[in-house]
Amino acid sequence: MSLIQLRGATKVYRVGEQEIRALDGVDLDIAEGDFVSIIGPSGSGKSTLMHLIGCLDTPSGGSMVVGGQDLSRATADDLSRMRSREIGFVFQSFNLLPRLDVVGNVELPLIYANVPAKERRRRAEEAAKSVGLGDRLANRPSQLSGGQCQRVAIARALVNNPRILLGDEPTGNLDSATGETVLGLLGELNRAGKTVVLVTHDPGIAARSRRVIELRDGKIVGEGRP
Amino acid sequence: MALRIGLGEIASHKFRSFLSMLGVVLGVSSLIATMALTRGIEEGMRTFMQQMGGLELVSVVPNEPGGLMFEFANLSPGRTLRDAVALKGAAGLVSHASPELEHPAVVSRGDGGGGERRRARGVFPDHFVIGMHGLEAGRFLTDLDVDRGTRCVVLGSSVASQLFPGTPVADVVGRTVRIGDSPFTVVGVLKLQEREEQARARKAGRKVPTYRWDPFRQKNESVLIPFSTMFHEFRSGDRSENATPALPGAPAKAEGAPNSMESIRLDTLTVRIGDLRHFRAALLQIRAVLDLTHRGVDDYDLETREDWFDRVESSVRAARLSGGLISAISLIVGGIGIMNIMLASISERVREIGIRLAVGARPRDIFRQILVESMLISFIGGMIGIVASLGLIEVLKLISPTENVPVLTLDGILFSVAFAVFAGLVSGIHPALKASRLDPITALRYE
Ligand SMILES: Nc1ncnc2c1ncn2[C@@H]1O[C@H](COP(=O)(O)OP(=O)(O)O)[C@@H](O)[C@H]1O
Ligand SMILES: [Mg+2]
Repeated sequence: MSLIQLRGATKVYRVGEQEIRALDGVDLDIAEGDFVSIIGPSGSGKSTLMHLIGCLDTPSGGSMVVGGQDLSRATADDLSRMRSREIGFVFQSFNLLPRLDVVGNVELPLIYANVPAKERRRRAEEAAKSVGLGDRLANRPSQLSGGQCQRVAIARALVNNPRILLGDEPTGNLDSATGETVLGLLGELNRAGKTVVLVTHDPGIAARSRRVIELRDGKIVGEGRP
Repeated sequence: MALRIGLGEIASHKFRSFLSMLGVVLGVSSLIATMALTRGIEEGMRTFMQQMGGLELVSVVPNEPGGLMFEFANLSPGRTLRDAVALKGAAGLVSHASPELEHPAVVSRGDGGGGERRRARGVFPDHFVIGMHGLEAGRFLTDLDVDRGTRCVVLGSSVASQLFPGTPVADVVGRTVRIGDSPFTVVGVLKLQEREEQARARKAGRKVPTYRWDPFRQKNESVLIPFSTMFHEFRSGDRSENATPALPGAPAKAEGAPNSMESIRLDTLTVRIGDLRHFRAALLQIRAVLDLTHRGVDDYDLETREDWFDRVESSVRAARLSGGLISAISLIVGGIGIMNIMLASISERVREIGIRLAVGARPRDIFRQILVESMLISFIGGMIGIVASLGLIEVLKLISPTENVPVLTLDGILFSVAFAVFAGLVSGIHPALKASRLDPITALRYE
């Protein structure tokens, strides 16, 4: 079975009387070690799909299995455990805690995985160094550039050694040069064995992945291999 | 871990945290102060009661016999010397008995000077123990004095100094005083009895405080002579108030017949119980003996200090309760303050909570974190409250009467802080629940 498997997955939002089918019967298989790009116009359901894969949300219908866990039957604690062990999520807006320094932000997932303090610090520093932030360990997000912030977020996503790395437009807030280094980093991680799923608007970026999936109105309308 | 996060959170919002602590600070300091205050009152009461005379004393007082007994009231001889003898002999739990006769008279020096109206009392040696007296000079009355009916007198401290001002007490012993017209030889002078603060002030050379109600005054104004001397000298002329049918074997007395020492009605009868642990049993024994000597007529009642102590204790308890209640209310208000600030801080931190959830925090981790923060705030507030209470107690010491100096106790401090932390816990539950129920995606989107 593939690492990520969706069968007729739907996500329905209800806003007053109106029903919004953000995802409408999605079938998708992603194998371990794959590098997948998801493209599509704004509002097509890309983020919704990423949230489902990232175990931040559960589908309204259909079946969905991530890393062996059946998400249609998962409790809040199951989802937390999945996010803590299996998934690293990189957001467009970095989502760092402003009051913590680089090490503090990177070690956050380890706190909730009950890793002892010393070990936590060692692994956080190691992860920060691996994304090229070895000389910025004590800086706070406000003292870092956008590219550096996103690298902190990647280090945080990596620190628990998850199998799946997700990025929802991770370069959307970066200029193209820094975006390039961030993408280079993700490519490297994929080569090192991580399964990477990215949402992007940029066809150039999509072209670097192994699979491109196109969404429209909550449905997969096309799939290709660049 | 939650502790460290909580401390960081408090440290980074010092002013806000302080504001939310304020209520707890006030609550804890007033709670500690109230407890110290009531403890002080309690302690004051207790030393006072100790000085006053212990729980061991039981007064036998006359009482209107109730119901049917009224018809038979005349059967009873009333409180007499026989009661005292019987109690001491037959009630094993009674260690001392002090029957007393009184006689109001002018007491003056041998030369007739310094006369003042006093209440002379005829007593037995047991009176010394029951009155909790001490001797300043000379000796107390002995069994021999009572047997022989000697003309000896023991003076209370203030009587001695009033009659013989400036004379050392040792020299007062041996002098003559007159009770009415009869001369008596002073054989002893009793120790001055006073409250602790009075003694302290006297020692320090300060002005000795006086009290409107001074329970020691009567003791210091004692004029004590042997019971038998009292009877023969001053009271043998008394007529008995009613015909007292004789006890079996005793000669009958006609109405208005002169009293004997055995049958004269006592003015007071006080007994002392040897062992407080058997207080209840002792009361039963006393009743059993007196029922016999009074021929089953319940024309007496037993008055114990316990009733009085109970009243004092219950009023102290009431003071403690109302003080505690006020402080508890301020702590609850403090708790509500914490709750408000925690709720505000949560809506400020929705995004942070979203981030923590996204990286793997479980709802219960969030719950615990908010709860720990709220408890930390109240704990730190409690600590500040302790410091504040120390100041508050100093102020209270200045304004409270000397006998009720507030007493700070560890119990009080621990209880107050524990209560504060509990208030923090309770007021943290709602915000913590609210925070832990946030949906990660909604929380992450929150601006
Ligand atoms: N929490 C929500 N409540 C209601 N509608 C939502 C919510 N989240 C997303 N949607 C709707 O679902 C659709 C898909 O959104 P999204 O997945 O964010 O699209 P994309 O990321 O591709 O721009 C949109 O029409 C959006 O308005
Ligand atoms: Mg989106």
